[in-house]
Amino acid sequence: MGTLIKIAWRNVRRHKRRTFLSALVIAVGLAMFILMNSIMTGMDRANIDNLVELSTSSIRISTKEYAEDIESLPLKYGLQNVQELTMFIQQQEYVAGATPRTQFLGQLSNWEETMPVIGQVVDAKTDVIVFALMNYLEGNYFSDEGENEIILGKGLAEQMGVQTGDYITLYALTRYESRNADEFHIVGLLNTTDPNINLNTILITYETADSFLDLEGLVTELYVAMERRVSYNLFVKDVQQLQTKLQSRFPELQIDSFLKIASGFLKLTEQKKAFGMIFMLIILAIAAVGIFNSVLMSVYERIREIGVLRAQGMKRGEIITLFLWEGGFIGILGSILGLIIGCGANIYFVLVGIPLDKFSGLETSGLPFLGRMYGEWNIGAIIFVFLFGIIVAVAASYLPSRMASKMEVTKAIRYV
Amino acid sequence: MPLLELINVKKDYMKGETVIPALRGVDLLIEKGDFLSIVGPSGSGKSTLLNIIGCIDTPTEGSVLYDGTDLSELNDKEKTRYRKENISFIFQSFNLIPVLTARENVELPLIIEKKFNKEEIHDKVSNIIEIVGLEDMADRFPRELSGGQEQRVAIARALVKNPLVVLADEPTANLDSEMSEDIISVMQKMNEEIHTTFIFSTHDPLVQKHAERVIILRDGLIASDERKNHGHAD
Repeated sequence: MGTLIKIAWRNVRRHKRRTFLSALVIAVGLAMFILMNSIMTGMDRANIDNLVELSTSSIRISTKEYAEDIESLPLKYGLQNVQELTMFIQQQEYVAGATPRTQFLGQLSNWEETMPVIGQVVDAKTDVIVFALMNYLEGNYFSDEGENEIILGKGLAEQMGVQTGDYITLYALTRYESRNADEFHIVGLLNTTDPNINLNTILITYETADSFLDLEGLVTELYVAMERRVSYNLFVKDVQQLQTKLQSRFPELQIDSFLKIASGFLKLTEQKKAFGMIFMLIILAIAAVGIFNSVLMSVYERIREIGVLRAQGMKRGEIITLFLWEGGFIGILGSILGLIIGCGANIYFVLVGIPLDKFSGLETSGLPFLGRMYGEWNIGAIIFVFLFGIIVAVAASYLPSRMASKMEVTKAIRYV
Repeated sequence: MPLLELINVKKDYMKGETVIPALRGVDLLIEKGDFLSIVGPSGSGKSTLLNIIGCIDTPTEGSVLYDGTDLSELNDKEKTRYRKENISFIFQSFNLIPVLTARENVELPLIIEKKFNKEEIHDKVSNIIEIVGLEDMADRFPRELSGGQEQRVAIARALVKNPLVVLADEPTANLDSEMSEDIISVMQKMNEEIHTTFIFSTHDPLVQKHAERVIILRDGLIASDERKNHGHAD
């Protein structure tokens, strides 16, 4: 085996230009895979971050009855022990904060038209710790003493023809199911990347809702934010650990992580990943054609050599092994080169990111077209593609190797 | 029992649709320890005969028996083993492996044979390299050697494993007469001491002079078969 490896390696070194070009084909395929994977992973992470920061938070806590009837956002299943819950949560590791919210259904009217809305009653102080709405706020946040202040999704405001500083009427059923209406002062508009918030959502404070909805401090949901981790898997682990702890400490409550709340979205992300993987495999298949040609050329150049080896008693299997080693060496060189190019370029994507401002204004579905999008390191994918590059090279060498082994010795020796 | 027996061996080559006969029915007995030279004009079938004996080509008709075994009945694996265990080739155009040094080229048949350990291989190779006078060139690659030196490497490669049969196609074509004499005497010594069978295809009068048996091939048939010390073989 040692001699076969020696002959294969020296042949790879002897034909430097051919080796370099073949390795380059693999390297380009690999580098593209690493970069695409990084960008796609980064995009997925940005989407999930966005979802967690704007809508779901890391964990949502409610009563089981409320969870069963969540579609109608009932104002009758309030959490009894919000303070105890909050204190317990804040003592846990990697928790950034917790905030109560009470959702309700309402209608917004500008006296000309009426729009259905989802109302969010928020704690003005703690909500900004859990949700990143401030980053997308145009105008002002709730003031300390202000009453009947409201924040609207920007799309909603545009549809209603109102802007910051205007007044608008909100209708809703109170906790005791009597209809109520009041005028609210628009202090800010939310221009987020989540179309649901932009088009359907209004925010008011508990102080305002206490009188408007007769809430009397009713909290239907408690949202928990975990600290962001560079590794998504670690973040998920943190969330799941806290969820388990909460579940065992408060078994009577419904504890849902963002993984459940946004399961449909996450499933879509997984499907997108699979599609991306197929695309990458096509790129590597193209690289395989390059290797096939290279080894085939090598076979043609060395027909006499093959004849001599066979005449000396080398078995067909050994001839195949010889050329497979040659393909393997090209694969290793290409894969290393691909790692250097791919990881080198990915450092830029991870540290500097891609500016997305130029895309702003496009209709999005949760993609943060603001600021920059960053690449992500995906060590598993990098190891996979490194090994895959070598396997592809060896596999692509098989057919020409087999052809070499089947040559008639006399013809091979006489071949010019 | 003769070592090799060729019975009515014919070989045709196709050139387009034309059949070109290379051997037209050769009958030949080769004894163990024969030191024979096949001579004849170009195209007379010398190389074809060597290739068929070496089992790297198959006859169109007839059979070749090696130690009583019909070579045409062997499958590819058995032919490979036959070559590995019994035959060494010296090719006219050297056919050295370009990425291996002279020493590594000579080592190759022993490595393929898988019968010897590293030390044995080293000793055998050093010995044969000394015999062919290539001690100073052993670590050079074929591209760094002259034609004569390459030929000596090819000879060393063929002799290193002490084969039972050496098939040599113009082995001295690139050697000066002094080196040719030396190489032939090495072969003669092997022939006398361990009864290695040498079959040469050659135009070199020097080889013919040393050969104990000379077969003349003409138009694919044996025109004469002369054993020098013991008279005519047939």
